[in-house]
Amino acid sequence: MAHKKNRHVGVVGIGQTEYSSHKEYQNQVEMVNEAVRAALADANMTLNDIDCVVHGNMELFEMVHQPDMWHSLGTGAFGKPEFRITTGGTTGSTLVCAADNLVASGMYDVVMAIGLEKLQEGNTTGGITNMADPLWFRHLQTGALTATTATMMIQEFGEERARRAAMKYRIMMDKHAVLNPRAHRRFGLEYEQMEDLMKTSPKLVGDLRLIHMCSQSDGACVMIFACEEKAKKVSKKPVWIRDHITVHREEMFNNFGIERPEMTHHYAARKLFERNGIKNPIEYFDVFEMYDPSAWWGLDWLREFFLLEGDEHIKMLENDEWGLDGKLPVNPSGGVTSTNPIGATAMIRPAEVALQIRGDAGAHQLKREVKHGLASGFGGTLWTVLIMLEKDLKW
Amino acid sequence: MSVCRNINTKDCFVMTGKMALPNQYFAGRVGSKFIISLRDAKKILGVKCPKCGLVYVPPREYCEKDLEKLDQDQNWVELGNEGVITNFTIVNYNDKHLPRRAPYVLALIKVEGADTPFAHIVEGIESEHMKIGMRVKAVFAEQTTHTILDIDHFEPIRA
Amino acid sequence: MAEYYGSKVVDIFNTMPVRFKPDGVKGVDVTIGYDILGEGGGTWVVTIKDAALKVEKIAGDLPKCSVVMTADAEAFVGGALGKIDPGEAFASGKIKVAGDIIILGNVLPKAFEKFTPIVRARAIVESMVERFRPEKAEGVDLKIGYDLSGEDGGAWTAIVKDGTCTVKEGLDPDCTVTMRMVSEVFVGLNLGKIDPAAAFGSGQVKIEGDMMAAGATAKLFKKFEVAGAEEKQGEELISLKCIPSIRHRFATGSHMGKWFKGLKEKKFYATQCPVCGRTQIPPREVCAVCRVRCDEFIEVGPKGTVTMIDTVYYASPDPLTGKVRQTPYAALFLVMDGSTPSESFAHELNPKDLDRIESGMKVRPVWAKERTGSYRDLLYFEIDD
Repeated sequence: MAHKKNRHVGVVGIGQTEYSSHKEYQNQVEMVNEAVRAALADANMTLNDIDCVVHGNMELFEMVHQPDMWHSLGTGAFGKPEFRITTGGTTGSTLVCAADNLVASGMYDVVMAIGLEKLQEGNTTGGITNMADPLWFRHLQTGALTATTATMMIQEFGEERARRAAMKYRIMMDKHAVLNPRAHRRFGLEYEQMEDLMKTSPKLVGDLRLIHMCSQSDGACVMIFACEEKAKKVSKKPVWIRDHITVHREEMFNNFGIERPEMTHHYAARKLFERNGIKNPIEYFDVFEMYDPSAWWGLDWLREFFLLEGDEHIKMLENDEWGLDGKLPVNPSGGVTSTNPIGATAMIRPAEVALQIRGDAGAHQLKREVKHGLASGFGGTLWTVLIMLEKDLKW
Repeated sequence: MSVCRNINTKDCFVMTGKMALPNQYFAGRVGSKFIISLRDAKKILGVKCPKCGLVYVPPREYCEKDLEKLDQDQNWVELGNEGVITNFTIVNYNDKHLPRRAPYVLALIKVEGADTPFAHIVEGIESEHMKIGMRVKAVFAEQTTHTILDIDHFEPIRA
Repeated sequence: MAEYYGSKVVDIFNTMPVRFKPDGVKGVDVTIGYDILGEGGGTWVVTIKDAALKVEKIAGDLPKCSVVMTADAEAFVGGALGKIDPGEAFASGKIKVAGDIIILGNVLPKAFEKFTPIVRARAIVESMVERFRPEKAEGVDLKIGYDLSGEDGGAWTAIVKDGTCTVKEGLDPDCTVTMRMVSEVFVGLNLGKIDPAAAFGSGQVKIEGDMMAAGATAKLFKKFEVAGAEEKQGEELISLKCIPSIRHRFATGSHMGKWFKGLKEKKFYATQCPVCGRTQIPPREVCAVCRVRCDEFIEVGPKGTVTMIDTVYYASPDPLTGKVRQTPYAALFLVMDGSTPSESFAHELNPKDLDRIESGMKVRPVWAKERTGSYRDLLYFEIDD
């Protein structure tokens, strides 16, 4: 059952810092503050207009606990209600869901959501290891790297085809990132390099190579949400949050048995589209910003998210249907393989969709009219958050 | 309502270990300028908000109330090395992360020209004689740690 | 020869002897092969042994080396100068490494001082336009010829007229004064490393034409500054590194307590959900799907069937100790005998079976000789044949 909303919620402000791994000139407060000021400027609002702040990043990844207290020097939360939300990799998208819920409920008219990460000041491996159950799994952890999806795809589609598809996907993402001045890694890869990279990019785990893997980035993303009445007053083009669903599973990587459970991505998509009456998601959506931590996962999850069968997703890749001029552009921003400030990453997805709907994305703006957008968040032991954004209040 | 009173505890035990928290902190441009002034010039710097007029120390890039940019040359202010105790506490326990062995005085000190007090250690006085309103002066460290402890401590100004 | 970011590939190798730090390489014995592709590239072998350095440019193929770096010339120079992020160049394939990659990360920074660009005559001559001081050139009408010999030399004419200065290639026949010297001397003079009086006196510098004009040129131009010098005077940014650790104590509870007890006895205990029947391993107090307590234990395994293998080539350093595991090693997912088919158990493979392991194989646990009821009791699994 979809949430019962008391009123509609619109995105009226979006602010992002540049994403890089060299932010020695700012401390965490200053980095957050930069994105807050950008979002307020975009919304043409001041701190006085904000009723409530929701703040999130990966807990303890910067080795600072409850950083929202310290960050209040830059978040503007001083003297306001503030919630801290930290749900692993899905944090950014959960912040959006929470802000949507808070405004839709009627409790607050304007909510500012802040997602950030400053991995250069922390230790990602330490963070991930400390997330695991301390009695057993902590001692087996190797960080977030796994090639199980690559192995399964190679088994299903054959070595050559699967590897080429994953590499094509990665190069496509880089081509999108090159157009996004905020993206962290913009290598300028060309499709001619495919064969070479497939052989020479160092292997991390199994068929997961360095080039397939997301970066570790620093940066912050801020979105301002307002109730329908205020949104229409304040913004010429508010972007409406239509619906969202969160599917987290147990904190165990035990889904590699002989029978495999339905993936959260598939379950989330199934439920979300069903309750919104969307029978053909590929036809319906104009853009999809997917949280793709690696090229293999990104490619595999296209099948899950769009409820496809067999090799449909790979055929669509081979026919350039997921590209900027294709049937359903995926990650025009470059996605997560190019930019991954974890606490912000899952918020950048709906933020970039909103920019596309507004027509403000800049060089990576899609040429087609974007009315129906989809954004996903990912985290933990294969969790999913799926968010639908709309240009018009017509659904 | 069932209560978990009957859990068989014969197999329970406690596992000990260590959790590592490696990290790096960037002071940023503003923070670095403040620390470098303590380290090299032995001077305490603050910033004044052009809008609300508050002089902040330690300095920060933006005023949290007005969102005015404080990090501009004209806003930086040299503060005095002497100040007044606005409040204090006595730390009576030991822990490896604490800067001194117990007992020691941790006070809030408002230096000359500042509107915000900041926390620091006061030495050279018995805790019974500590008073709010006492005047103290900064004693700078011999060796830098690139932290606020480049001021080693504050000590009372004897009349 | 091709320049990237103002430097040549050969500069990096030619300056290695000067930048070498013998104290940083005690006990090091490595050969590093460099295959630099593109204009200005080439092949070099750098040998560090017994705290001594040997740098050889070679023709043909590289001999066997401890590690070989193959790089695009621009990325190689850019990485050395810090103009591009070497990590990103590596990730995008512009720099490739074969062999013991750890050497590059561990040995190189300790073996050499950072490379700084070599200043060449051309850069100094061409910068004359920027460094020109029109306020000192009132009424001056001068043509200065520079005839600099050597590999990095060239010929230029600087024309000062009507309060402006232009520089062009080639020596004009009607220069007021012409300076002739080896290009390195010209550079040394401009950087203040060679004393002008000594250079003139020893005949290293030859002047033809108007001697007085030659003397007057100096005041017309600001001193040449090395590009890097400005950057060094830039702001100092403070960063503090620390590795705190906190001690912790975790209660196992009854279920994990029983699990560890089982390990001590070479047994695997799983809980079985009274509603859906699934076996959870390691055991859990609750079945999250059915939301009921699971207090029934059953013994599963000890053997199992492999369903998935992850061969790990890159291991992240331990956050506490900084140690890196030996790779490659394999993480295993297996379904224990007696377990419900959807419940997999994750552990590791005995390294000796790395080449033979395949999905579908049967494996058995290998136990530590002394077991205390901890995760160390179970060493790994091996192929059950």
